[in-house]
Amino acid sequence: MNELPKTGKVEKGASLWRDAWQRLLKNRLAVFGLVVLILMSTAVIVGPAIIEWTTGYTYDFIPDDPTLYRSMPPSAAHWMGTDDAGRDIFARVLQGGRISLLVGIISTAVSLIVGVTYGSIAGYLGGRIDNVMMRIVDILYAIPYILIVIVLLAVFGSSNSPAWIKWLAATVGGEGNQGLSQIILLFFALGLVSWLTMARVVRGQVLSLKNQDFILAARATGVRVPGIIFRHIIPNTLGPVIVYATLTVPSVMLTEAFLSYLGLGVQPPYASWGSLANDGIKNLAIYPWQLIFPGLTMALTLFSLNFLGDGLRDALDPQTRKF
Amino acid sequence: MKLNNRSVVGFTALVIGSFLIQACGGASQYFGKTETPRDNILRYVSGSEPESLDPHVSSGQPEARIYMALFDGLVEYGPKDLQPIPAIAKSWETGPGVDTFIFHLRDNARWSDGKPITAEDFVYSLRRGFAPETLSRTASLGYFVKYAEAYNSGRVFVRKNGRYITGSDLDGTPKKQRAAFGPDTEFDRSLRDGERITLDADPKKREKEIETDPKLRAAAEGAEFVPVSENDIGVEAIDAYTLRISLRQPAPFFVGLLAHQFFRLVPRHAIERYGKQWTRPENIVTCGAFKMQRYVPYNVLAVTRDPMYWDAANVHLDGIEFYPVEELSTIMNLYKGGQIDAMLNHSVPSSWIGDVRQYKDEYLNFAEAATAYYSMNMTKPPFNDIRVRRAFQLAVDRKALSDFRKVTKPLNDITPDGIFPDYDRARAAVADASRAKAGLSVEEWDRKHGVDPEAARRSLTEAGFPVIAEGNGFACPTFPTDTVSLTFNTNENNRAVAEFVQAQWKKNLGVTIPLKSQEFKTFLKDRNELNYVGFAQSLWSGDYMDPFTFLGLHYAKQNDGGSGFYDPKYDKLLDDANNELDPQKRYELLARAEAYVMDQLPVVTLTVNATNWLKKPYVKGMYPNPGTLHAWKFVYIETDRSRWDRDVEGIMTGSDARVDQQLAELTSSQRGQ
Amino acid sequence: MVRFIIKRILLIIPMALLVVTLTWGLIRMAPGTFYSSEKKLPAAIEKNIRERYGLDKPWYAQYGLMMGNVISGDLGISLKYEGQAVNEIIGRHLPYSAIIGIAAYLLALAVGLAAGTLAALRQNSFFDYASMSVALLGLSIPAFVLGPLLVLLFSFTLYLLPPARWGGVSALVLPVVTLAAVYAAYIARLTRAGMLEVLRSDYIRTARAKGLSERTILFRHALRGGLIPVVSFTGPALAGLLAGTVVVEKVFAIPGLGNIFIQSIFNRDEPLTLGIVAFISILIMVFNLAVDIAYGFLDPRIRYE
Repeated sequence: MNELPKTGKVEKGASLWRDAWQRLLKNRLAVFGLVVLILMSTAVIVGPAIIEWTTGYTYDFIPDDPTLYRSMPPSAAHWMGTDDAGRDIFARVLQGGRISLLVGIISTAVSLIVGVTYGSIAGYLGGRIDNVMMRIVDILYAIPYILIVIVLLAVFGSSNSPAWIKWLAATVGGEGNQGLSQIILLFFALGLVSWLTMARVVRGQVLSLKNQDFILAARATGVRVPGIIFRHIIPNTLGPVIVYATLTVPSVMLTEAFLSYLGLGVQPPYASWGSLANDGIKNLAIYPWQLIFPGLTMALTLFSLNFLGDGLRDALDPQTRKF
Repeated sequence: MKLNNRSVVGFTALVIGSFLIQACGGASQYFGKTETPRDNILRYVSGSEPESLDPHVSSGQPEARIYMALFDGLVEYGPKDLQPIPAIAKSWETGPGVDTFIFHLRDNARWSDGKPITAEDFVYSLRRGFAPETLSRTASLGYFVKYAEAYNSGRVFVRKNGRYITGSDLDGTPKKQRAAFGPDTEFDRSLRDGERITLDADPKKREKEIETDPKLRAAAEGAEFVPVSENDIGVEAIDAYTLRISLRQPAPFFVGLLAHQFFRLVPRHAIERYGKQWTRPENIVTCGAFKMQRYVPYNVLAVTRDPMYWDAANVHLDGIEFYPVEELSTIMNLYKGGQIDAMLNHSVPSSWIGDVRQYKDEYLNFAEAATAYYSMNMTKPPFNDIRVRRAFQLAVDRKALSDFRKVTKPLNDITPDGIFPDYDRARAAVADASRAKAGLSVEEWDRKHGVDPEAARRSLTEAGFPVIAEGNGFACPTFPTDTVSLTFNTNENNRAVAEFVQAQWKKNLGVTIPLKSQEFKTFLKDRNELNYVGFAQSLWSGDYMDPFTFLGLHYAKQNDGGSGFYDPKYDKLLDDANNELDPQKRYELLARAEAYVMDQLPVVTLTVNATNWLKKPYVKGMYPNPGTLHAWKFVYIETDRSRWDRDVEGIMTGSDARVDQQLAELTSSQRGQ
Repeated sequence: MVRFIIKRILLIIPMALLVVTLTWGLIRMAPGTFYSSEKKLPAAIEKNIRERYGLDKPWYAQYGLMMGNVISGDLGISLKYEGQAVNEIIGRHLPYSAIIGIAAYLLALAVGLAAGTLAALRQNSFFDYASMSVALLGLSIPAFVLGPLLVLLFSFTLYLLPPARWGGVSALVLPVVTLAAVYAAYIARLTRAGMLEVLRSDYIRTARAKGLSERTILFRHALRGGLIPVVSFTGPALAGLLAGTVVVEKVFAIPGLGNIFIQSIFNRDEPLTLGIVAFISILIMVFNLAVDIAYGFLDPRIRYE
């Protein structure tokens, strides 16, 4: 969305976006969400280094005698307690946030860029093109994505995969960090499936928009197809799109957690919020903090994201002012 | 709205309150609902869905427990020690060379459809198991049976001028005539008359085999090649109730092996009538203490007491329901909710153990004939260097690992401690002798074979990867952590162990080995084909109660050790041991072989597994034996609360009059021999 | 319209075959085979197995054989579960998934539509915030957390419902609620957004101006348009629900199709995987077609040429 002003005429577009921004700032919940998200992102980016520097705890630090430190309740030393191996949950939550937030951001970006464009083109052009494009979505939807992930991991993650694949994995994932390159693959796999439903939702919206008067008027005045789609159709689908995008984030985070649960997701000793929750639920009756802190962090993030999403939707809605 | 708010608050309070009660309610004597089932039916969680009800087909333990209800064999696993006890064979005799066995069958054994069971049934059953078209995945367990391997892998005999060429024909040594045992028959004579050579059935591959040996080529010149058939394998019905099994080599543990599913009896008449469909509930014919009642895959397999069973009077349960459930917390929930009475081994998730351990009348944690270790790929650098392997072996504190896992014991060798007491003694004696020879004190010896971070760092440095002190710890910047990894198949327990061992190596060697959690089949391919670099998780459950089931892991070129270890010298040591007829001497030779392979360190030893399961106190006659394999006819449900199991710590040494008497009566027929 | 529907129905079969082909290719690329296990097989036995199942033939012959099976409707015999036909397995386990899936969807629809509509009508009210927060909570709690939580509460604290296994209506409650939660949350949020959009549109204003009662406006006009996003979502969601959901089936030990499907992938049980994929893809396409048809009824502005 932020790219839109660059493509449009700056003076004309700027006032719309400045207006929207000012409306957003008036929405207290949305501002709260924005602030929390900024704080959260900062925390997961710099937090792990700060904790390691001040206390020495890292996400994978298992103390010498873990039996003494395992599953300790929150204390001054361990703000969120420790897990079953004696690791500091706070450090793990921060590190897990990196992965969970990245998964959310990447998949949402893919679903916004690919899904919205794809869906609106299919919906607007209609006819045979729409038919072919949506059938491709159907087909991709029907292929079991677990199988895709297994194959991706096997082909790209194996030590006897072709040299160019190794080179690619090393370039993207970083040399000497085999665990990370699997995460990159995971992002890729999640991005691959995350835009499909968005494309369907957008197409449905566009079908109902395209015969409305203002589109017909634009067409009559000779605006070309890309112009109609990007300047007239997409802005009018933004409401459901933003709502759906805020729904995508929790759903991909859960998909990631599910894949981790099947062993196809984040590699230990790395964690994600989903995998931390999965570990925590088993001990709920005995060590509740192992679920509560990762859970609360995740919930706080998703709530903030949602407030921001709702605020954005209201702010961008061209018709809001009439009410 | 007010009302609404109040009800919301009320509900929240209820939830929080009940969680608190839940958390503090640990005072009860039993874990969850504990009432004897009204019907006399045991409800048992058997793990994964059985692959097949054909005992020749699937190899898993979950299936084995179901087969033990449905199919009888020559012998059955003893309820406590898994030593063979009479089943359809009421007694057996061992030949002088420990390579021939004669079984005397009882004459009152019947199939579930009433047809009598004779020695011919066993001959058919074994032949079917070895038949190449049966595609049995466990047939290799029975390769001790003479010519079984040749038949199973479709090889051919070499016949010239009407006689079969034997090994002694080739090397010119006098023919090894095996001592006769039991009635003299033509078939038996042919089996005793030297070891016939066999060649590949495929002409091209056969040509290659012949190429390598000029004597073989001379012998094969103008000879005809006769496929090894089912009639050639060393199984013979001497009469309707006498069976003779001849082996290719001495195997003192062979009778113990016969309780394995591969050797259980399958019904010829049903198989010939229904083909592959014979295991369907409507077609299946069984011979065990229980027969098929109802089968809904992924839901329940119910068996009911079979009145045709020869020992039906001593079967206590009216039936068993096997539930295929894999999710550990679901198993625990079912148990806690009183929906099941017992479960398979390794069912208590590690996070529940702390809580469950307090239920001393129910929690069964005993040593198991199963080991966990990391194979090191000896075919790829840097782990082809013994110094590197030693460094990683010495840098793991197995005692701490076992404490951390709560249920396991440290493993310092290939064969687990505490399963084979006689072997343990022999091994200790061999170790003592080597220690004396090396002039080391007990502490020095233990350190050398246990954990010694300093020696580990030295060893790694010597191998060309200098370990330097850095900050409070160590670093080893040249170690290739970009290629080496610790690979394991996805599983909560495997992950916990891997994370722990990774932390140990990081602390002691300054090396962070990346962890790689893989989906099972991907993992198997990497491990079995030695594609991995570094470490691969290995778990091994013994197939039979003899140390050889563990030592055989590194035997022969194609082995299941996962390290690519192959050493003809080690093979020779094991062969010599197995040819030794005196059990005590044999153990000593085996222990020497074990010391030999441990010097080469194909693996990082980790832990001996523990059984780790629960049964309700009213379930009796069910024991935490080293394989968690239960002879179901001993199991009963005790309705009298005063006789429920108490403090199962002593369950293996304590006595249960009912079981003891049943066992004594059953084994009397063999003891008379 | 009728031509459109016929054309789409005719398309379903070749598309399902395309999905099966792609899946087949993926299975062949995945490492390992159905018979690989911890114990290596002797080479001779492995060879026998490969011959028996035609794995020694060239790939195009194997592909042809597989396609022939799928087209004839006989999906073959499972490799893992000897002697069980794929058709039989699907037929046996579909009812379990279907009962739970449909029950969960109906529950989700009832709760989600009511909450979403009410929230839209009373935008920015307490109810709006509360219900949307609960919905968000439903979205962010994974089934593997919600299921055990409900079990802990209803089975081991209140002792009301059994913790797992199939059998009786009481055993259905927890899995259905666990499954419904996330869908109810989705539907509530989509309904609210769709309704807000519609309530502002010109035709609703016209209806108001004409003096129609709020009830008529809501049920006759607004709901129809506001449901479009929900309908879009329903197609794939319902197909997915019918085909089973792994986590709920695992947590509650329900013999549904979802877990069998995942297991078949992990077991490399090719006929079973392909059979279920063919079944699911037809299901998805039929539901998507139904969605497209429903668009036409819900919104007269949408036309198909």
